[in-house]
Amino acid sequence: MSIVQSDGFSVSDNGFEKRREKIIIDTDPGIDDSMAILMAFQSPELEILGLTTIFGNVTTEDATRNALLLCEIAGCPDVPVAEGSPEALKRGEPRIADFIHGSDGMGNTFIPPPKTKKSDKSAPEFLVDKVSEYPGEVSILALGPLTNLALAVKRDSSFASKVKRIVILGGAFFALGNVNPAAEANIYGDPEAADIVFTCGANIDVVGINITTQVKMTDMHLDKLRQSSGKYAQLISDMCKFYRDWHVKSDGVYGIFLHDPVSFVALVRPDLFTFKKGVVRVETQGICVGHTLMDQGLKKWNSSNPWSEFSPVSVAWTVNVDEVLNYVTEILMKP
Amino acid sequence: MAELKKIIIDTDPGIDDAMAIFLALESPEVEVIGLTTIYGNVYTTLATRNALHLLEIAGRTDIPVAEGSHVTITKGTKLRIADFVHGTDGLGNQNFPPPKGKPIEQSATEFLTEQASLYPGQVTVVALGPLTNIALAIQSDPAFAKNIGQIVLLGGAFAVNGNVNPAAEANIFGDPDAADIVFTSGADVLAVGLNITHQVVLTDCDRDKLAQSNGKFAQYLCKILDVYFGYHHDAYSTKGVYLHDPTTVLAAVDPSLITCVEGVVRVQTIGITRGLTLFYNKQKRFGEVTEWSDKPSVKVAVTVDAPAVVKLVMERLMKS
Repeated sequence: MSIVQSDGFSVSDNGFEKRREKIIIDTDPGIDDSMAILMAFQSPELEILGLTTIFGNVTTEDATRNALLLCEIAGCPDVPVAEGSPEALKRGEPRIADFIHGSDGMGNTFIPPPKTKKSDKSAPEFLVDKVSEYPGEVSILALGPLTNLALAVKRDSSFASKVKRIVILGGAFFALGNVNPAAEANIYGDPEAADIVFTCGANIDVVGINITTQVKMTDMHLDKLRQSSGKYAQLISDMCKFYRDWHVKSDGVYGIFLHDPVSFVALVRPDLFTFKKGVVRVETQGICVGHTLMDQGLKKWNSSNPWSEFSPVSVAWTVNVDEVLNYVTEILMKP
Repeated sequence: MAELKKIIIDTDPGIDDAMAIFLALESPEVEVIGLTTIYGNVYTTLATRNALHLLEIAGRTDIPVAEGSHVTITKGTKLRIADFVHGTDGLGNQNFPPPKGKPIEQSATEFLTEQASLYPGQVTVVALGPLTNIALAIQSDPAFAKNIGQIVLLGGAFAVNGNVNPAAEANIFGDPDAADIVFTSGADVLAVGLNITHQVVLTDCDRDKLAQSNGKFAQYLCKILDVYFGYHHDAYSTKGVYLHDPTTVLAAVDPSLITCVEGVVRVQTIGITRGLTLFYNKQKRFGEVTEWSDKPSVKVAVTVDAPAVVKLVMERLMKS
């Protein structure tokens, strides 16, 4: 138990003051995004500097509406929402996964629109400004295509070194993708941007679907959530209906994958994962466009290749499935 | 007695190719009906020369050698030749005298298509190099994919890093377009990738045993293995060498040494991951049509009884 004070510090049980972790969530809500965002709002050890929005599960415009809604629902209407790019760096009109998340991105729950307005700043502007305001202190949780982050990297050459940590949900490492056998949806959404971000030199932890698909909330877990007194349990349960039915059709899974919530856990509880370091590049051409390929460093290459001379990132390698699932359900059931 | 399985080895000798060829000749389960040559470890001309030389060493000059393509299927001439793995002569820099024999008049492609139509369903091609010859056979004869019994190929890296670069394995990287043709041809293909062959290691100690045996092939191989061991030591920090080609021959000789799964394999032909083999096991359903949809299935080896493979390699090479 910790008590949050208005000055941004929280007091933990042992009485030591601990600065709250500053985070920005870059997101395309999205049902599992909504879960992750509401989890963040239920985490007093975090100071949410803002949400930045991106296309993916919904259009960027709808992502902004949903992000504003979620801040309102969480009772934090003052948390700024900065709208991001409507499309990928080079790919034109985006592919929108409305067949997974419903036409409103929130499982066709059609919640009335928010009263609050988005920030005047664009998402890349907001990211650059906050990161330079608090150099070395801001962590970013990136839950959608990486366009905004790539634009931030391009906008400010010191962004990569000033950001504390970027936790990315994206890619499929030595595993099948979910858009097609080669590619995972977030990376596929903007492969050029993803390659810029992975090679920018920032402190990056990447959580691929090889990890997130290990953590499922089954129908039984979903029932338990619905019957719980969790602050947002009813809303999440309502949203998850649509999402769950798609999982049955697509993967034969009677339940849901927790892609975004698992990535959130990687941000706050990295100890529940193991990571391997290696250079990651993204294919931007051909049938494998969007494929994430990591050099595991098992061989000394005798000549330079497209992986040579880039900084390694941390790729989530294993996950403590039970503990992560416990962590997620506990927060979601928290009154 | 049942007919022996007829095999044609498409090869770029190469040190482990030499082991694989000897191993096939010492395997009573199969009859080697020809060698076809290709670039890769060496250029095609030298591959032909080395193939003839190896058959002379084995006293099997009755086996025809058909020379294969000198260029990729897209007529590419900028080939990647792995002389730093196998020595400039491909056989561990031993400066063997040139062979007396000559390749047959037929090209590798002609030989492959002819043998497949002479013995439909009975010929296995063991492909140990880039797949240019096999792809040309598929293109030149529409019946080839159906006539050929099986294509057992050494190639690809399935859910592991490559050996040319993090994305690509050397044989597929050598001619990615040809590889994609072979994988999607509808032929009965079994792919043995690095995920398998990196499990099969001939150790320094095994090599000492080979050196101490009186086997003709064992003696010969010990001479040429130095370069190959040296390369592995530098590149992988291992005390031993990967038995890529011998494992693939044995997968053809005794399929019970491996297990495999079926699915669609496509090869990336451009970009930074050129040569990447991407296997789709058909478990997950995708919402949209993909480049893997409606393509014929192949078999991909996923496990290997590595100790049994090494044991068989040692036994057969030492008894000769």
